[in-house]
Amino acid sequence: MNLGTRKILDRSFTALGIGSIVIMALALMIVIVPIVTNGIGALFFTGTVEHRKMLFHEFKRGDSQKLTEESASAERYRAKVYEMLSGFEAELETMAPEKKREYQPKYTEVRTALQALLGPLPGDPEPMLTRFKYGQTRWEKAEAKLHDLLYEVKWDNSDPNVMSKEYFVSRAISFEGTSLVKLFPYVENNISKMLLPEFTFYWGFITDSSVDSHFFGGIWPEIQGTFFLAVGAMLFAFPLGVIAAVYFTEYARPGFFNSMLRSANSTLAGVPSIVFGMFGLAFFINTLKVSESKSVIAGALTLAIMILPTIIRAAEEAILAVPKTYREASLSLGSTKWNTIVTVILPAALPGILTGGVISLGRAAGETAPIIFTAAVSVGSAIGLADVFSSPTPALSWNIYNLASEHEAAAQIRHVQYGMALALVSIVLLLNLSAIVLRARISKKLKG
Amino acid sequence: MMKKLLLLAFFLSFAVGATANAADKTIVLDGSTTVGPIAKSFATYFTRKFGIRVTVSESGSGNGAKSLINHTCSIATLSRPMKAEELAAAKKIGVNPVAHVIALDGLAMVVHPGNPVRSLTKAQISSIYRGTVTNWQEVGGPNARIVVIQRESNSGTEDSFKELVVGKGVQITRNAETQASNGAVKNRVSTTPGAIGFLGLGFVDRSVKSVAVNGIAPTIPSVKNGTYPVTRPLYFYTDGAPSGPVKQFIELSKTADGRRMISELGFVNQ
Repeated sequence: MNLGTRKILDRSFTALGIGSIVIMALALMIVIVPIVTNGIGALFFTGTVEHRKMLFHEFKRGDSQKLTEESASAERYRAKVYEMLSGFEAELETMAPEKKREYQPKYTEVRTALQALLGPLPGDPEPMLTRFKYGQTRWEKAEAKLHDLLYEVKWDNSDPNVMSKEYFVSRAISFEGTSLVKLFPYVENNISKMLLPEFTFYWGFITDSSVDSHFFGGIWPEIQGTFFLAVGAMLFAFPLGVIAAVYFTEYARPGFFNSMLRSANSTLAGVPSIVFGMFGLAFFINTLKVSESKSVIAGALTLAIMILPTIIRAAEEAILAVPKTYREASLSLGSTKWNTIVTVILPAALPGILTGGVISLGRAAGETAPIIFTAAVSVGSAIGLADVFSSPTPALSWNIYNLASEHEAAAQIRHVQYGMALALVSIVLLLNLSAIVLRARISKKLKG
Repeated sequence: MMKKLLLLAFFLSFAVGATANAADKTIVLDGSTTVGPIAKSFATYFTRKFGIRVTVSESGSGNGAKSLINHTCSIATLSRPMKAEELAAAKKIGVNPVAHVIALDGLAMVVHPGNPVRSLTKAQISSIYRGTVTNWQEVGGPNARIVVIQRESNSGTEDSFKELVVGKGVQITRNAETQASNGAVKNRVSTTPGAIGFLGLGFVDRSVKSVAVNGIAPTIPSVKNGTYPVTRPLYFYTDGAPSGPVKQFIELSKTADGRRMISELGFVNQ
């Protein structure tokens, strides 16, 4: 090969490498950036007075005097809206029957839009569901609801051969000639005085329980559930995995049986996680009956089985990487095999074993499929250590899926979904970072 | 040392939550995604009022029935009655499923809001799902391919739909797309102009348009008096007659508060 071609090959290989790294970075950006920006929006946002009311009534948090003042000031501006509504209702009564029939459904729509924006109107019965007790708690949502109030969605189906197109009609125009026409500009101009938006840092998103299936409140039960499941899985899998790895590397005689076991272990690492989920349901819950229903313990055991092969492999590699001379030195000093393993080999292999362990911990925290049938529920309060043997728990990974697809109002609670995704990504990232730090510190200690 | 103390405090904070929250018994609900909103709202209400923890899973009616048979839930939520084979399986191992109707639901046929079709007959819907009608033009709509959306085999809503509309045992077209929950169907229909799907009444909102079936729109009165042709009850199933907190929980659907919650969620009281 002449020098020219070699150079070209070399350069193109470099370009390929750089290219793949750029693509990976871009993909990561595309995934991570929306999660981070939208997820942070669950914690930091422009909150309205409705948010502060909700916090005060549901969580007893906030300055009651300030809230009373704010509510009073918001109420002063709202009173005019209510006045216009009752004025129009009176006008409706005096209308000719056919005109009344025309305006009644339109007026109902206006009322519904106002309820969504400001919460229950005077004269409405107190709602049972918390989601209807308050108006819009977030300013960006309030702006969307304001648009719903000001404009009516219509569908243009003039062309029968294509799907209709959406267009907006100002509601003020359809109420032309009635007293209600003044309502729309009034609300549009005074909306911020009626809702009093201000910058809010809702730290409770991390530490609060959800209120009315995640319409309000935070994600603490999910975070706690994830923590219990991941740590529980680790408690089972880590000791077992390390012991198995010691057996494979130190005690097992090379042979057919041993190599079968090893390849079985490698295969197990590649089994799809949903299979472990079904296995967990069939074995731990239906056969062993570790608990009466789904439970944290059943989920943790299932996750433990899922991460076991990875831990065994990582520990094996770490033990095999310990220089032979360590072992020989220990044995030559008259130490027994067992003593050598515990005092020389395992400490030297510890950084590698721990790294494998912490990465598996991150995987256990993020897995959804194994816990669907064994541990996860869509709604449940935070549980305590005493309940892990009997109670199922919500968990981040499963609840992100549940809220994004199964929830009856998935489109209204996007910020909660993103907040959960960010929390999960941060937890896994923190675990992986701690693995790196731990490894560095232990290696330093061993060298020093 | 300080670090270890902090770590200890961290773990203890979890443990303290335990003693504060520990209830005598947890009520575990498992099953239908259609009944999900009712079950979740009841759970929140019940926990707040009586301090008894209630957990809700939405894994589908089929799974709910299986959980009840395997003794892994206290109440199975189903959007269809239990099937003969499920009852037989339950009897065999000594489980005695008792049905409690908690609410009524109309199965709304939903299309994209931009679809000008306002009404379909049962026969038209049936031919759409059997695959003999594949273009909206054939049922009075624009020239666009129909994207048929159905639910998974585990779904009670799918079973009710088959029984009430296309007929039991009839093969639904193989081009039909399967979604795993009411929420997922709603999301798919609201973003796909040619789509048709079916939803529990409580899931219908402005992002989709429900069409009238045989000329009758799915509304609370039309479901309640049975004129809407695709109406079905929603069930709570227990093993044997319920007692204690479970009984109390089921009877919530008959109390004034429970009935208010059901109607606020958009479902229909009996």
